[in-house]
Amino acid sequence: MRRALMRDPIFLIVFTILMGLLVLSIGNTIFRDGQVDQFLNRYSEEGRLIGIPPLEPSKDQWLGTDRAGNDLFQMMIEGFKWTVGICATVALGRMALGLLVGIPLAFRGARLNRYFKMVLDGFLILPISLLAMMMLFSSLMFADSTMVPPLVDRVSLQLTVFILLGLPAVTLYLITEVRQLLKQEFMVVAETLGGGVWHRTRRHLWPHLVPTLVIVFMQQFVQTLMLLIHLSLFGVFFGGTVFLFEGVMPTLFEWSSMFGYYFKQFTATTWMTSHIFLVPAIGLSLLVFLSNLLTSRLERAFRLRRQEAIVVDETVSQAEAAAASLADPFTLVHADGALQLNRHKRLNDIG
Amino acid sequence: MHWIAQKSAQFFITLFVLIAISALPSLVVQLEFVPSNYWNGLQQQFSQLTKLDEITYYNVTAQQELPLLPALAPLMKETVIIFMTSLAVSVAFALLYAYFFYRSGKRVRTVLQQTSQTLEMVPDLFWLIFTQFLAITLYKQTGFNRIEVAGGFAEYIRFLPIVTLTLTILFFLLKWLTKHILEEEATPFLELARAKGVRPAALFWKHLLPNLVYRFYLFFRSNLITVLSSLLIIEYLFNVQGIFRFVVYNPVMPILLVILLVVYIPIFLVDVLAEWLIPDAWKGGV
Repeated sequence: MRRALMRDPIFLIVFTILMGLLVLSIGNTIFRDGQVDQFLNRYSEEGRLIGIPPLEPSKDQWLGTDRAGNDLFQMMIEGFKWTVGICATVALGRMALGLLVGIPLAFRGARLNRYFKMVLDGFLILPISLLAMMMLFSSLMFADSTMVPPLVDRVSLQLTVFILLGLPAVTLYLITEVRQLLKQEFMVVAETLGGGVWHRTRRHLWPHLVPTLVIVFMQQFVQTLMLLIHLSLFGVFFGGTVFLFEGVMPTLFEWSSMFGYYFKQFTATTWMTSHIFLVPAIGLSLLVFLSNLLTSRLERAFRLRRQEAIVVDETVSQAEAAAASLADPFTLVHADGALQLNRHKRLNDIG
Repeated sequence: MHWIAQKSAQFFITLFVLIAISALPSLVVQLEFVPSNYWNGLQQQFSQLTKLDEITYYNVTAQQELPLLPALAPLMKETVIIFMTSLAVSVAFALLYAYFFYRSGKRVRTVLQQTSQTLEMVPDLFWLIFTQFLAITLYKQTGFNRIEVAGGFAEYIRFLPIVTLTLTILFFLLKWLTKHILEEEATPFLELARAKGVRPAALFWKHLLPNLVYRFYLFFRSNLITVLSSLLIIEYLFNVQGIFRFVVYNPVMPILLVILLVVYIPIFLVDVLAEWLIPDAWKGGV
């Protein structure tokens, strides 16, 4: 598995890009104190005014600046760790809680699980972003920028809501997976030999569950990202929205919030003159694309591993089948039919 | 009889859950979870259920509160038109693709597989902006302005939302179809049919496809939330006068309840119909 991934150039490239961005983003916090440079007016050599924000992309500002003069490239770097951190936290939280609820339930009878599924079915038709927007809207709108409650409160509320709203789908999925594994032969054998629930979970279920969990993690990651994007388009930015004189503003440099914020500005102005929103939009699309790519490479690696495992399985089962077809423990496996018949006759004669 | 009892029990349980969901916005007050407030909200939603016709919304153009239910029909019509058209078009394209995939050789298959896999990774957001961008560029280049990029007050916008949603659903289906065709191809009953000299076209349409219908339905049903999420954001960004955009602009609990019911009841009916009408043989039974 690890070897298959290490030999996969696409996986390595994607992984390096994401890790590199993460290191840059954290580095920006450590070495530059999370600072994003602001450029207001740009003057030429002889002091003539040649540009006001938003500035076009240039050698000094790689991706240009927004209306407030913030350097977009630096903002993207600074925001990356927030976006990835939020999505990873939510995905991990959902999975941890889902496992905590799902594994004990999966060991129960089919009837209980059917009821459970029936109850949670309602959660599977409503877009989460809509519900999240309605739950968070009133709490995260701040009319006065001096009266914003501490960041921890806002973030923890938002993370809790995100985790809880996605939980039913994840739990149901994990239950199905676990129940499917429980039906496998080796699990039945483990139960027959007297393995307790905890032992079976830890020793037999867990190793088979890990590949699924990795893929579920990536899927949840992308889903959370889409949720963040939808919310920011509705005007609920992560960490809260501040009403200003000229409109709304996010409180954090985070990709999806930037996208929602600049997208509002784009709809007010013309298309290409304000290229600003395209920067986070392309960034986000790329992030989703890369995460999906990573998922598919992981899936491939797991598939390769499973294929290897199947080959081993087959030889074992062949040996077992050969052993089971023996008439008695000391018959030669390759003995031909005539010999067998002779032998039987002789045995009968003796008898 | 047992089946009817089971289905109606399911319906009422889900109804209850939906009411509980629609009261969720009252759970969060000023950055805190307040269970007592949620309880009040729940009671309020239940009492609302008996007088659905009294729910009103604030109509911006008329500058007054108007009853909700009469206003719902045109909104639903828009949403249903966009959803059903995209669904039909994408399923048709997906079937054509599946047939083409089934009939093509190894090399073409690899190319198709890679392409569909890559396309599936692109987020719907990208298609949304891309189609808008394309329509505007087309207008700038040629002056062709028949494609609306956003709906107005009394104007309907259909073309671009349908295109975007179609693309989203289509790429979503392609990967699943590819995987399952490859899986089905190896099954003994298809090999038997092939050995008996059934032509490839009949093999695909008569033997392979019916086997996939029910599983396809289950797959689509379990991923409906993704499609509806896309629909929500498409309606919002293209200014479609549909139900999802309506809730975004009127985010109150009674309206959410009505919309939930409006979305859930047709889905439930389709579920029941599918289970009833699709023959057992197609479900993998005998």
